Amino acid sequence: MALLKILEPGKRQSAINTKPAVGIDLGTTNSLISSGYRGNIEVLADASGQFLLPSVVRYGKGVQPIVGEMAKEAAISDPQNTVSSIKRLLGRGKSEVEKMPQFEQYTFDASRDEGTPAIITEAGVKDPIQVSADILSELLSRAHDYIGEDIEGAVITVPAYFNDAQRQQTKEAANLIGLPVFRLLNEPTAAAVAYGLDNKEEGNVIVYDLGGGTFDVSLLCLKKGVFEVLATGGDTALGGDDFDYILSDWIAKQVYSDENPTLEERGRLIAYANSVKHHLSLHESADLEFNNWRGSLNRKEFLEMCEPLIKKTINTCRRVLRDASLSVEQIDNIVMVGGSTRMPIVRQAVESYFGRAPLAAIDPDKVVAMGAGIQAEVLAGNKSDNDFLLLDVNPLSLGIETMGELVEKIIPRNTTIPVAKAQEFTTFKDGQTSMIIHVVQGERELVSDCRSLARFELGGIPKMVAGAAKIRVTFQVDADGLLSVVAQELSTLKMSEIQVKPSFGLDAKAIEEMLRSSHQNAELDMGLRAMKEAQIEARQLIDAINSAREIDGDLLDEVGHNHLDNLVHELSENISSGTIEEIREATERLNRVSSDFAASRMDLHIGHALKGEAIDNIDR
Amino acid sequence: MQSIKKNLFEFFGLSESYDLDIEKLSERYHELQKDFHPDKNFSETEAEKMRSVQLSSFANEAYETLRSPLKRAAYILTIRGYDAELVDQSDLGMDLLIEQMRLRETLEDLPKDESAFPDLEKLKKEVKEKLRAKQSNFASDALEENFVNAKKTFHELQFLYKLMHEIEENEELRLDY
Repeated sequence: MALLKILEPGKRQSAINTKPAVGIDLGTTNSLISSGYRGNIEVLADASGQFLLPSVVRYGKGVQPIVGEMAKEAAISDPQNTVSSIKRLLGRGKSEVEKMPQFEQYTFDASRDEGTPAIITEAGVKDPIQVSADILSELLSRAHDYIGEDIEGAVITVPAYFNDAQRQQTKEAANLIGLPVFRLLNEPTAAAVAYGLDNKEEGNVIVYDLGGGTFDVSLLCLKKGVFEVLATGGDTALGGDDFDYILSDWIAKQVYSDENPTLEERGRLIAYANSVKHHLSLHESADLEFNNWRGSLNRKEFLEMCEPLIKKTINTCRRVLRDASLSVEQIDNIVMVGGSTRMPIVRQAVESYFGRAPLAAIDPDKVVAMGAGIQAEVLAGNKSDNDFLLLDVNPLSLGIETMGELVEKIIPRNTTIPVAKAQEFTTFKDGQTSMIIHVVQGERELVSDCRSLARFELGGIPKMVAGAAKIRVTFQVDADGLLSVVAQELSTLKMSEIQVKPSFGLDAKAIEEMLRSSHQNAELDMGLRAMKEAQIEARQLIDAINSAREIDGDLLDEVGHNHLDNLVHELSENISSGTIEEIREATERLNRVSSDFAASRMDLHIGHALKGEAIDNIDR
Repeated sequence: MQSIKKNLFEFFGLSESYDLDIEKLSERYHELQKDFHPDKNFSETEAEKMRSVQLSSFANEAYETLRSPLKRAAYILTIRGYDAELVDQSDLGMDLLIEQMRLRETLEDLPKDESAFPDLEKLKKEVKEKLRAKQSNFASDALEENFVNAKKTFHELQFLYKLMHEIEENEELRLDY
């Protein structure tokens, strides 16, 4: 056992005594590593002075894997053996991965099982864990050069929406190269830490992260060392690249009046647009030249073109605030993350919406890695003064299927985890002895529009009339975001349970698609839901009356039977062709007329029950 | 570790009151989570880990209940032996219903695009003010232990919250999603 080191009271540790620790931002497009080994947190560069390591690995025959800029250049000439965007594959199932268009150039190993997809390259079969490990290893070599001794451990950042499987695989990648992981840290939290916001007494922090291809907003509330995620939102199909496309389309319109640019020219146009965008980040206007065309563009014009994109990001901020019931005045700090936040037009839009200037002192490409480095120092024991706690939320609502393929939400999105919530349900038919519990995730009202997580059966429900059995369904989500569901029949206490491991869980894109479609369909869903509910209620009433008449029909005279027959008929017609009001009215009429019958049945059954006879036996 | 107490106010070490100091509540909540949270109970046994998850979940749920002005009101009624879910006809006054209808109509008449945002904001402000007034009514009803009145006020609060929710849904539909 290692001996614990005890410091002399009041004496600060010098750099010489510190344990070497690193912070790693393992990104989809680029990765970075930082270290506080020499006192201040520094992001480490490669031999040519580059901080960003492109997250691309080329696997050539008989050679060591090539990681970074050189691999990126090979992506065009040798696409099958050059792997990029591997982060999108972490924690995914094979069938899911094979359908993703950006991975269509790869050959996936057919002999692998569903849980472990892998790409066939000239250097062998590579799974997402190995590719991530190769990127980590390249980053670590920078740290070895800088520190000169073995690394004790790392803090690696992950997106806040990463599920357990994705987090687990990130850890495994580090294990593969023998790198101990102190902790996985959420990216927005890391960014807030980089600005020292964790040292502040309290405040609400917006982290606005606009990368090359994704956009994320997180609202964190900080109070005395506790970071509470209040709400998150984003768009996985919105990023700096979209600004390039819009600008290149505009230039194309000026250059080519009638004919379309060729594919090759189109590629050049996008690259040119990208350079113009960068120029406009530093200057008020740009002189343009493409082929034989000349022109100019200023920031204001560029802003007008990109207005819809920027508005989208602001609307996401608006929604995140709404989810947390906060107003813009209650936001104390805004942290900008991602290279695309360098654009002045983006910063100005954020500033004008929140009414305060965003924090921008730290390079937005480096800010996450810096925060990871700081936390690594804390966890290595080099900096003992601040250890914070993160209270995270579940990004999507969880619920179960009820009659008519409707979803009953049990844990709404943005609920702080861990959490346990219970709800009682009942049987639909007389004498029903089992019940299917179908667990779904998503914001929509209909089961078919949500993601199915698990399905299991609760059996052994004692025979009772419809609506009499009580089944309590409890949802529990632990601190890692793992869900378990327990269903219990309350009279017998019979239980059935299931652990839902999202091994091929939702990625950010799926989350956002589900949220988006939920908003578009909110109104439609509500109407549809009300209609379905009215129909179900009506059918249940007819079922109940029919089965009651089979058993206790002799309690009614002929007039009573006829009256019920007419009303049942009327209601059935309305279920198939009536409006929601008509169904409700007909249900109500039938309900009123049948209530006397129900009352006399009740008296009879209570009599039987008191004599010790089960309701089941009455009709025998 | 603290045990799960029945009364949520006691759980947070606060005295029962509708007029709750939310700052203090959240401070207590964070203090408790620093003890309970699974991240702070790394190397414990399985049983202790389980307990940590339970306590932490309970704290989350308790915090959510007391922090929400509506849930807090319902909770106070419940511990005082009143069924907050049961609405009595006499609980709802005619003037309340008429006002509700007026507010709903205003909401429905708004244009269906972003131009409605300023009016939505105005409507929100109006409802918020009403909410504040009703909340202070509930607080004084509860203080005087007049829970029959408090229950009426609670149902008025319910109405207003529902309306607020509808305004927000309206806002959402007009957002660019």
